[in-house]
Amino acid sequence: MITETFVQKMEEIVGASYVRKTGADLELYSYDASLVTGRPGLIVFPATTEEVSKVLKAAHDHGVPSVARGFATNLSGGTIISDGGLVISLSRFDEILGIYPESRYAVVQTGVTNLELQDALSPLGLFYAPDPASQKVSTIGGNVGENSGGPRCLKYGVTSNHILGMQMVMADGEVVEIGGPAFDPPGYDVRGLVVGSEGCVGIVTEITVRITPKTESVITMLAVYDAISDAAKTVSEIISTGIVPNTLEMMDNTIIQAVEKGGPCGYPTDAAAVLIIEVEGVAVGLKEQAEKIREICMATGCRDVKTAKNQAERDLLWKGRRGAFGAICNLSPNYLVNDGCVLRTKLPEALERVKAISDQYGCPVGNVFHAGDGNLHPLLMFDSRNEAEVEQVHKAGWDIMAVCAELGGTISGEHGIGHEKQDAMSMVFSGHDLNTQQNVKLALDPSDLMNPGKIIPLPPEGSDRLPDQEPTILKRPGGKDATGVSEAIEAIKQAKNENRAIRLAGSGSYNGMGNALTAEPVSINSLQMKEIIEYDTENQFITVGAGMSLMELQEKLAENNQWLPIRPPFCKPESTTGGIVAMAAVGPERSSYGAPRDMLLGLQYIDSNGQMVSTGGKVVKNVAGYDMTRLLTGSAGTLGLITEASWKIATRPEACQLASAVGSLEACATVAAEVIASNLLPNSVTAVQQNGDWQLMVGFEGIAGVVSYQIEQCLGLMSKAGLKDGAHRDYPVVEGCFTEIYATLEQQPFVAQSEVALGKVSQAYQKIEKICSPEAALIDFGCGRIFASFSSLDTTQWDNMNNVFSGAQGHGKLLKSTDDFRKGNDVYGLKKSEWQLTHMIKSALDPEGVFSPGALPGRA
Amino acid sequence: MTVSANYDAIAKCNKCGFCHVACPIFRATGHESGVARGRLALLRGIIENRVQWNEEMEDPLFTCLGCGACTTNCFGAVPTADLVLEARAEYLDKVGKKPAHRLLFEHLLPYPKRLHAAAKAVALGKNSGASKVANALGLLRIFGRDLPKAEGIVEKLPMSSFRGTIKPGVYPGKGKDLRVGYFVGCGVDVIQVTAGKASFEALKETSKSVTVLENCCCGLPPWSYGDVDNTRKLAAKNMKIFSENDLDVVVTDCSSCASFLKKYAKIFKDDTALDPAGQKNMPKFQDMVEFLSGKSDTKEGDRESQDVGSYYDPHSAGLGEQVASRGENSPVIITYHDPCHAVRGQGVKSESREILKAMKGVEFREMPEADWCCGGAGSYALTHYDLSQKVLDRKIKNLKKTEADILVTSCPACMIQLSYGIRRHGLNTKVFHISEIVEHAKDTAEV
Ligand SMILES: Cc1cc2nc3c(=O)[nH]c(=O)nc-3n(C[C@H](O)[C@H](O)[C@H](O)COP(=O)(O)OP(=O)(O)OC[C@H]3O[C@@H](n4cnc5c(N)ncnc54)[C@H](O)[C@@H]3O)c2cc1C
Ligand code: SF4
Ligand code: SF4
Repeated sequence: MITETFVQKMEEIVGASYVRKTGADLELYSYDASLVTGRPGLIVFPATTEEVSKVLKAAHDHGVPSVARGFATNLSGGTIISDGGLVISLSRFDEILGIYPESRYAVVQTGVTNLELQDALSPLGLFYAPDPASQKVSTIGGNVGENSGGPRCLKYGVTSNHILGMQMVMADGEVVEIGGPAFDPPGYDVRGLVVGSEGCVGIVTEITVRITPKTESVITMLAVYDAISDAAKTVSEIISTGIVPNTLEMMDNTIIQAVEKGGPCGYPTDAAAVLIIEVEGVAVGLKEQAEKIREICMATGCRDVKTAKNQAERDLLWKGRRGAFGAICNLSPNYLVNDGCVLRTKLPEALERVKAISDQYGCPVGNVFHAGDGNLHPLLMFDSRNEAEVEQVHKAGWDIMAVCAELGGTISGEHGIGHEKQDAMSMVFSGHDLNTQQNVKLALDPSDLMNPGKIIPLPPEGSDRLPDQEPTILKRPGGKDATGVSEAIEAIKQAKNENRAIRLAGSGSYNGMGNALTAEPVSINSLQMKEIIEYDTENQFITVGAGMSLMELQEKLAENNQWLPIRPPFCKPESTTGGIVAMAAVGPERSSYGAPRDMLLGLQYIDSNGQMVSTGGKVVKNVAGYDMTRLLTGSAGTLGLITEASWKIATRPEACQLASAVGSLEACATVAAEVIASNLLPNSVTAVQQNGDWQLMVGFEGIAGVVSYQIEQCLGLMSKAGLKDGAHRDYPVVEGCFTEIYATLEQQPFVAQSEVALGKVSQAYQKIEKICSPEAALIDFGCGRIFASFSSLDTTQWDNMNNVFSGAQGHGKLLKSTDDFRKGNDVYGLKKSEWQLTHMIKSALDPEGVFSPGALPGRA
Repeated sequence: MTVSANYDAIAKCNKCGFCHVACPIFRATGHESGVARGRLALLRGIIENRVQWNEEMEDPLFTCLGCGACTTNCFGAVPTADLVLEARAEYLDKVGKKPAHRLLFEHLLPYPKRLHAAAKAVALGKNSGASKVANALGLLRIFGRDLPKAEGIVEKLPMSSFRGTIKPGVYPGKGKDLRVGYFVGCGVDVIQVTAGKASFEALKETSKSVTVLENCCCGLPPWSYGDVDNTRKLAAKNMKIFSENDLDVVVTDCSSCASFLKKYAKIFKDDTALDPAGQKNMPKFQDMVEFLSGKSDTKEGDRESQDVGSYYDPHSAGLGEQVASRGENSPVIITYHDPCHAVRGQGVKSESREILKAMKGVEFREMPEADWCCGGAGSYALTHYDLSQKVLDRKIKNLKKTEADILVTSCPACMIQLSYGIRRHGLNTKVFHISEIVEHAKDTAEV
């Protein structure tokens, strides 16, 4: 409750003029862009992290629930708090704190808008990939809160793929630094969890985002259709040929009408649908790609393809697309936007059913959406002044979500759950899945004061848990019934009954990793779970049992010229896909293809109660609930036994080639930086020692012509900088080009892996050399990583190394070390404050500590 | 008109929030009461009985600059500025009108002579440092609580008004047959007298005759306070003057006046006595910028635009040394500020750039957010000093980025506000009306 004392306290913290409470003020903070409303009790406008911390501490002491608010453009009621709660408006956090092009990251305060960041980056030849249509007016904090997507996300991924770290204030006022400029910090993927948590686990004040160099060239096309189903066909067809456009955006006739009514943007008003297709990349080969796309369009029933002739034409097309939601008001005062996702091939069916629902409830519908991602946005029109219409529109919205779930998709692709879709969560998750998610929230916010009562459906009266029922609509194949799963459940239950610690395993190839366990464990593995549960070549995903080896999986995919674009280091022929998920193992290609966290669509796992939990799904965009998939990825067997994983797969590249040349480490680093900053799009940029010198290796993959052009350019850069022995060679798609160096590294008893800020990797390495000379090393410039092996290592050396890693804004871990060493040391190095969050989550999900006790970073 | 009468227009806002990006007040306060979405939500709250008419409504209604930037960013083009303005009338009616405003609207603005006298008294007081006189006169006080802080905004007041020097009447020009009426806005008349003189010269250049009109205030100030009655009175006076003189076009060098004159037709469309369309002998209205560019046609389709291609001499702007110090032949760097009433009020934007870019010796640099409100907004700076300064700070920050020697605009209120910001931030940039620039260039060309 907000008392006089509390108000005074707030005034002391932020100053009286930044505390508002009049009736008008409360009305002004009772809405966002959704249809949900509710009056708060008080609004505060803190200006610093310290003020946020004091505000939350006081709220915690007084038991006042609160919600963070960016610009309140979310479409799910995420910023609504009723019953006298506190709104914490972050509009004063409006500064870009730093842009670091050489390290490819920027730090912004939460209230900076997406477009302000883009505008600041653009003159430097850089951009921040996520581009919600609301980018002008949505804050980066809000984007993080909702895990926002945008047109460009088809190629670049959503917000979560581009957030490196954050400063967050916890419910009790404690300030934690999570992640940072370096990739993949040890511990659970907490930043992954925070992204999309809709303000329910803490308030983010500063955000470290990944920034990307602009590409050399872009071609924007408008494909015009007489039938919407033909447009949908084009979409599937383009993706399955292996071309990944930046955008594949669809607008139907209703939307075209609405937009053109607001101001001509160049869309033909008689078209049934248009697609905005944009490709970008190195100039060479781009025209050919565009031409190929045109052919596909024409072969799938397209009427005409226009190409934007200049920036102005291109801007106009995008202006129409970005303004499409707003343009609805040219047809009707209000709209409810749905946000479900379906598999691309199900788009025509989904659209038909949406139309039927719209007819049934008498709410006209327009469709403008991210077709490439299968992310629908049916806009249902109504007048919010008419109560009957409001009721109908809600019913229609509910039915549309049901259709998406029925077609194997999800209820929200990017707008979040908030209040609006909360109850629909039961369509896609079981009661136990949802209770587990709520446990994670409560682990970080035990008093349930951060944006309470959102995302997870409220339990029935008199209970604090949801009944354990299956998802009401979504059918998830696999699960308990998949081969080997029920046996594993039994084994886990039994071990638990016997009070035994459990080590979860795949083939055992990654067993030596992590800290020494504090109890002698029984081992339970996934090796029986070898099934292919679902393989959809067209929609490019595969769900496989965790026990299937990566090799086997790749062989299977190769039959359709597909693959899983991942080449984990130290991977053995028997290494399981489940193990790769658990270890989040990834090689230097991470800089282009991403890590397992970027490729996993969903998981199932057995938790510490021996119950199945499902996370995510099988569509590429999914913000339904907390990001449990990322939480489990890299959890190294401490949260549960992963039984199956749904992976996003890709068409195999036509060519894989490596350009290499030799020189000093400094010279290699200079050229590496040049290549990374250039318009070239390398897949990996690494160096290994060679006869006292270093060999710089730059890998390119993709369309043959484009690859060979880039190889040539790259060799040019190398020789210009004075590197010797320039050469190039092909390498195999699946194995990649690092198997040899991994084998060499592994011969030593100690293998360290460190990630530091990009651009600081060679200096860090040189310092490491002085502490303890590596026997072998792989320097990964593209990811800011070092792999190094040592014949011996002591505590002082390890501590010193970790100081070096921290000095370069990074962290390190030992992938391999001796039992002796592990007894006395933390293989994850220096203690970090964010690890406490890892432990809070661990104790909530595995309260008795049955899974690998002691293995986590920050051991006692 | 009551707020409820605008229910449809208000309900068109679907709360998308796109107006946030453009609203200078929201960007300065970060408070929802300062943005179109919020102002509209409150109006809707009133209609739907969730919000009451009381003092809490003052800020949301009166902090609006009326700049219209929100509407430009709104796909539904919800005319927030107009809706807010109309609501002000109801507010003043229901919650109370400040008598001070009435003094200004009823007793000063309709009478140019009284305004001149008042301004002179203030000028005496101000220039001699004895602002007590001004206070005694009450003119400076009528704007309310922020005035003491705002007193420094106007640096110096001329001792004589424009129409004190150049008396109303008909003056011959050099052109063929265009008969122009020069509408002298209050700002030009009593403060930006030099700009007025430049405009007067420029008007003569291409017209047969220039009539300096005996107009009174265009009516925008009372209109912005929702005071329809007084607006009507002022408009009626002016319309009478327009129809009495035989004119092809009425030009004003105040973009605010220009946009408001053009609005008469819309505002008074149900009022046979005032609708310009229904009047005999009614001229067209033009902004000085349009006139100078010769782009927007009057009845004389063949009228030539002013010759602005001539060389701009930095000396005429007192910039001789400053520019010379940058090296030989370096041009004068000029940038432009779009008054809200020009860019959104009338859709006048490219004309000014064309004029400036055509001048030799000038490097034109576009200012970021050139069309953002400067926070002057008529008397806004006087009534909401702190807020208006925040808006101004953003403008000056953008001005700095251009490193311009000269900042040009076409509204006297903007000129006052911008000059104040420049002084406060210690910049060297000079502020000129576009007529002055054109005159500078021509003077030199003639030498
Ligand atoms: C016309 C229109 C078009 C849109 N287009 C898109 C689109 O293309 N793609 C898309 O994904 N979305 C889109 N959206 C939705 C919306 O813009 C996004 O969800 C956006 O990210 C919200 O940003 P915001 O600043 O308004 O955040 P808010 O709405 O203020 O907040 C969103 C959520 O994040 C939380 N939050 C905000 N700041 C913080 C913080 N610092 N710490 C913790 N939690 C925080 C809030 O509590 C809330 O739950 C659109 C919306 C509109 C109105
Ligand atoms: S942009 Fe228009 S519709 Fe959107 S919130 Fe602002 S006023 Fe309302
Ligand atoms: S008119 Fe200007 S100040 Fe008023 S709400 Fe619109 S943008 Fe803001």
